[in-house]
Amino acid sequence: MSNTEIEIKKPKMDLNYTSNKKPVHSDTGPEAKPLPKVTIDGKTYEFKPGDTIMEVAERYKIHEEIPRYCYHPGMPIAGTCRMCTVEVEKAPKLMTSCSTPAGDGMVVHTKSEKVLKSRTGVMDFLLTNHPLDCPVCDKAGECKLQDYNFEYGPSKSNFKEEKRIYEDATTKKLSDKITLNMNRCVHCERCVRFTDDVTKTNDLVMVNRGWHKELEAADPDKGLTNDYQGCLTDFCPVGALTMNDFRFKKRAWFLEKKASICDRCSKGCNIEVHSDSDIVYRYVPIHNEMVNGHWMCDEGRVSYNDLMNPLRIVSPLLRHQDSLHSTTLQTVLGELKSQMLSANSVQLVVGTDSTREEAALLKDKFSDSLGKKVDVFFHNGTHGVSTSKDDVKLDHLLRMKDHTANTRGVEETGLAPLSGGQVNADIVVLFRNGRAAVPSMKSDQKVILWGVWTYEEVKALPTQNVLGVIPGHATIEKSGSFKNADGIVQKFHPAITHRGGAVSAHQVVSTLKSLN
Amino acid sequence: MGTINISKKYTAREKAYIPAILIGMKITMKRFIQGFFFRKHDTIMYPEAKRDYSQRFRGMHFISVDKNKTENCTACFLCETICPADCIHIVADERDEDENPYGVKKEKKPISFDIDSLRCCFCGFCEEACPKDAIKLSRNYELAVSSREEAIYDLDHLKRDVKGRG
Repeated sequence: MSNTEIEIKKPKMDLNYTSNKKPVHSDTGPEAKPLPKVTIDGKTYEFKPGDTIMEVAERYKIHEEIPRYCYHPGMPIAGTCRMCTVEVEKAPKLMTSCSTPAGDGMVVHTKSEKVLKSRTGVMDFLLTNHPLDCPVCDKAGECKLQDYNFEYGPSKSNFKEEKRIYEDATTKKLSDKITLNMNRCVHCERCVRFTDDVTKTNDLVMVNRGWHKELEAADPDKGLTNDYQGCLTDFCPVGALTMNDFRFKKRAWFLEKKASICDRCSKGCNIEVHSDSDIVYRYVPIHNEMVNGHWMCDEGRVSYNDLMNPLRIVSPLLRHQDSLHSTTLQTVLGELKSQMLSANSVQLVVGTDSTREEAALLKDKFSDSLGKKVDVFFHNGTHGVSTSKDDVKLDHLLRMKDHTANTRGVEETGLAPLSGGQVNADIVVLFRNGRAAVPSMKSDQKVILWGVWTYEEVKALPTQNVLGVIPGHATIEKSGSFKNADGIVQKFHPAITHRGGAVSAHQVVSTLKSLN
Repeated sequence: MGTINISKKYTAREKAYIPAILIGMKITMKRFIQGFFFRKHDTIMYPEAKRDYSQRFRGMHFISVDKNKTENCTACFLCETICPADCIHIVADERDEDENPYGVKKEKKPISFDIDSLRCCFCGFCEEACPKDAIKLSRNYELAVSSREEAIYDLDHLKRDVKGRG
């Protein structure tokens, strides 16, 4: 188990193509062999034997010069799209840079006249049957066909005949998550290779050949069944595969992009939060070889809906007679503090979805700020997981059984797990981040809710004796760090600004201390 | 506190006001005779008669519809993107297949399309950006409303028949 600390950063590159390949240098020493060298566009680069030309370009961050549709660093090489062809001196014809191994002394030109002419030809052929329905297409704005056509494409088409139309597959639901528009497809087969080699579910196939080549689910009755379908829409270079969850919600160019961490399970996938006016529209994975590779599961991808829930409690609530009423934070905290001080015993249950900083703050400072001894425990409870020892992988890729992000990090602070998942104090303060489960309790247990809660969750509680609710920030609204299941500590910063009345845990603790 | 005397010294001709009245009466009678006997007017009877403006006049917005009264708009957000005054607000959704009786697949539709005409500067960029010729500016210049809410044109308002369309 490595114990490294990394900070999530917004990639400068396009998400589809980021790669963490680093430049290599020859060993120094008397017996060290020099690394082979390749010349690309007049500059000489060292590379590892076995690298393809594209991989060398990736090492030195010059791969933006080479356009590509079928190549993806997370998948096996296909070499079908012919977009990445480069001119290699002494080779009789253009070579695909994604599949040609670099050789010592090779001289490569990526922008010669011959190469540019070839790319224009490829674009011309791809656009013969493309419907050009960019106004309706969700991919517009982040579409590789648009970008490369702007850069390399012919200004007009020589194609006079009628365009091919797949009548049955214009708006075809491959599953409840993915919609296929076959007319837009450029047949790069990234999706097929993804289901073959990454998820290993083999649920997409290309049927027929040539003009009639069509993408279909391997079992048309079942459709797509894997848990990583959202990734298909990420790497589809055109708008052929679109996610129903994001379909027609927002155009890509309005979205503001900030890096954060998915808190749906203990894996801690690196994500980019796409939002406009602090409303989140989707999560997209960021490439991080140590954590999630290029991928992200569907459950995490749509988990932003929990935070954007209109029933989320975003103002402090206090019980008056039989119902909860919205009031100021000072009033709520003052009233709750006097109730907690007069109670015989108080327990604080910290959800394992809170950040390391919050857990440490509550462990050390909560009793002090209240002026009374409070027993602090942590509780997970998702899918029957109580500590990190119960956590297992659900498949060979990313999904974990523990559905909170920071179980290991909270354990590390020295907190004890809630024994038996049962609370037994006069007043129980439940602090959670919207993910950890509610511990079991008596039906007349007095509770104070703190953190991310929705009205539905409050109604579904075993007890209706809720004294008050203190709203808190969700993961993407605050900064902190998580320790994931593999022991990697990841820091993150706010991706959106909270516009409601929720306050940070630090502010609540300091307000509690200042109140008399 | 000093005072400023702004009273004017009148000349003898001005003091005898009769000539000035006669000059004024002469102009009045001239206009009266021109209008009453020879039908020569410089004004129009506005609500009944209206001026004809240029074909390129940019007035109230409208959304063109097909013969089935379905709007041509596909909610591509290009007008919202180009709008310099931020006055267009669209919410998009998928269109039902039943709404396409002619077999023309309009996949996407606006479920709400609001133009805040109080913000609008009538530059006509939306008309230029529209790939479907859906949003257009008519020659209707009667934009007066009795409340601020009415000044926000919704989809039904934009689709209705207005004078000076096209």
